[in-house]
Amino acid sequence: MTMSASFVSVRWPWGQPILASVPLARRNLLADRRRLLRALAGIAFAVLLMMVELGFRTAFIGSMLLPIQQLDGDLMLVSSAKYEFGRRTPFLRRLFYEARSVPGIASVRPLYLERRTAIWKNPQTHELFGIQVFAFNPDEPVFLLPEVADNLEALRQPDTVMVDRRARSSLGQASAGMQTELSRHRVKVIGTFRLGPSFFSDGTAIMSDRNFFKLFGVQSPNSTELPDVEIGVIKVSPGQRTLDVQHALRAALPGSVMILTKAELIDREARFHMQVSPVGPIFNVGTLVGFAVGILICYQILFSELSDQLSQYATLKAMGYYNTFVVKVVLQQAVFYAVLAYIVAWTACYLIFRVVGEIALIPLHMSVGLTVTSLVLALIMCVGAALIAVRRAIATDPAELF
Amino acid sequence: MPGGPVHIEAHPIVRVDAVNHYYGEGQTRNQVLYQNCIDIGPGQLVIMTGPSGSGKTTLLSLIGALRSVQEGMIQILDRSLTGLTPRELVAIRRNLGFIFQAHNLFDSLSAYENVRMAMQLGGFPAGEMRERGMHMLERLGIAHRADYKPRQLSGGQRQRVAVARALVNRPKLVLADEPTASLDKESSSSVVKLLKELTMNEGCTVLMVTHDNRILEIADRIVNMIDGNIVSDVVLRDALTVCELLKSIEPFKQLTPTEIANVADRMKKRRYGPGEIVIQQGDVGEEFFLIGAGTAAVTAQQLGEPARQIATLTTGQVFGEMALLTDQPRVASVRAIDDLETYYLGKKDFREAVALSAGFKDQIRQTYFDRYSTLQHWSA
Repeated sequence: MTMSASFVSVRWPWGQPILASVPLARRNLLADRRRLLRALAGIAFAVLLMMVELGFRTAFIGSMLLPIQQLDGDLMLVSSAKYEFGRRTPFLRRLFYEARSVPGIASVRPLYLERRTAIWKNPQTHELFGIQVFAFNPDEPVFLLPEVADNLEALRQPDTVMVDRRARSSLGQASAGMQTELSRHRVKVIGTFRLGPSFFSDGTAIMSDRNFFKLFGVQSPNSTELPDVEIGVIKVSPGQRTLDVQHALRAALPGSVMILTKAELIDREARFHMQVSPVGPIFNVGTLVGFAVGILICYQILFSELSDQLSQYATLKAMGYYNTFVVKVVLQQAVFYAVLAYIVAWTACYLIFRVVGEIALIPLHMSVGLTVTSLVLALIMCVGAALIAVRRAIATDPAELF
Repeated sequence: MPGGPVHIEAHPIVRVDAVNHYYGEGQTRNQVLYQNCIDIGPGQLVIMTGPSGSGKTTLLSLIGALRSVQEGMIQILDRSLTGLTPRELVAIRRNLGFIFQAHNLFDSLSAYENVRMAMQLGGFPAGEMRERGMHMLERLGIAHRADYKPRQLSGGQRQRVAVARALVNRPKLVLADEPTASLDKESSSSVVKLLKELTMNEGCTVLMVTHDNRILEIADRIVNMIDGNIVSDVVLRDALTVCELLKSIEPFKQLTPTEIANVADRMKKRRYGPGEIVIQQGDVGEEFFLIGAGTAAVTAQQLGEPARQIATLTTGQVFGEMALLTDQPRVASVRAIDDLETYYLGKKDFREAVALSAGFKDQIRQTYFDRYSTLQHWSA
């Protein structure tokens, strides 16, 4: 008597029997293993599609944030016109000096960047590729990257550069001691660091401000004046609250510059790519397509299952079950489908991200956010499909059974 | 009465009164039931027959609270179904047992679990369910298949599981639609036997639509419907009595058993108390009577003379036929002496029955002529 074992007096601590009622949803799910596999494959595919789209979106934005995350500062001084980190929007050097005089500040260090005109010659193939270049005063280092901190002395030498060893392979294999050209100037690679490419740049080079000015020019080549600053990386004095200093800076500086905490800058950059740049919406549309495909697949599965059992559900209604019971059973089934398909999709996505992340050098991770978001989407997808499909079962008239 | 005869029950389980039903709306509105009236008492096994489209399943679904009553009154288990919301109808259905033509079992559930789906509505403690369910499956001879899925069962076994599901909550009223249609002889008789047992031992009322001649004999009552009308409603016990009695009486003894049964089907029952007048001398004759039980006195009265009793009639004897044959007024009165149970036949049906055996017509007329002369003789 296997059945009696599964029904008799297994009770919750508060006395209510577990498995008091026939687990119809679970039985329906398991009744036909092949149909279950087909259904899971279909739904898992849709969930995987959403996960990949969301993962790529996160990776895309994450790759854009990589350099900002490596900045060694509490507050960032940027032009109010700046909407994207990697695009040149410098602010007046005068304001940079003014910021230095605000009390509570330990240091304000300039960061320069060039992305548009920087051309890297692949040391192996001699092909030319765009590259992103950051520059700073080696006396006032701005990066957290440990290799950069270790090579400040070498960076002071003329025509030296450090390059990202996680740059795309098209840029070639660069290592210390290698010679190549950066924007038609002969440069010597004195070391490498580990950052990773973004969707807009295949690699990153870091150099001293003097070498940078030489290669990429200043606004007025004849002037001895230093050029305008891209980012002012600010350290707050020990014992000072970052927010207080931020307020003081805002009071002291005109509206043409923004003073953001590092987190705010990261947030702003992420929001820009998610909402304003075309790339974020493209991934959103991809996610939406996955969601729509998922709803269709799930609806199709539940609908055909319900259609096969219409007279059974009608009989339940004749016996005295309310429509709410039918809805409950179908919803339960949908949730089972969602959870099982989700587990399959999560595992597949994890493997895909491991492989693709390594190949494409983008930060693809099964993050907590992605895990939760895709689970919620999978549940909404299946429950939504169930609510549409169950209308057919609700509409069945038990009077038609006679 | 258009809806046919009504058997008055003191405490009916089902009471249907003047029910009309329509399908469609506006131009396409189509009446399917006409003034249906029927009372069914506890413990009766009623079979409904009739050609398809005669409205019997519509009536069954109305009684089963599966459709809303449109016109008229239906009361089951002391509750009126008129004007109830769909949700209230669902709640009422929990007290009924339904057996459908198809078994409608969930393929995903075992036989026992299918039965248990019904028990979950019956409010039994979870601990008792297994025992109850198994007991019911045992009564239908399929306990050894309790843990099998419907696909692993034969057609007969599946239908028996469906019957177990309908009966496991011991409903006071069971509604069945062709429950034996898909069954072999053996399964059919075990199902029918169980239904009969429930009616006899537990006072359960069964209303069944069927064309299965094999099971007509177990019915207490057969209701026949044609074109939305209840055309006959025969309490079988009475019908058998009537047939037996008619067989030995002219002109019916000339008829074949089927013809006699047809006549019996059309006869309706009427009771009279002691002293009550059944027919009155001088009235126009409309009905022919057969005495099922009790005794009656025949009296005739000549002008200016006191009434004289000329005969006593008892079980198996007939009266009232003469006025129907001759289109003359009643020549005598008949009065119940004690509790009198009669079966009567309308003039039209009676004449049809007589006409059936044209060859014997003369003989019949002769018979009646003889009796007429006797009466003349008495009254002289």
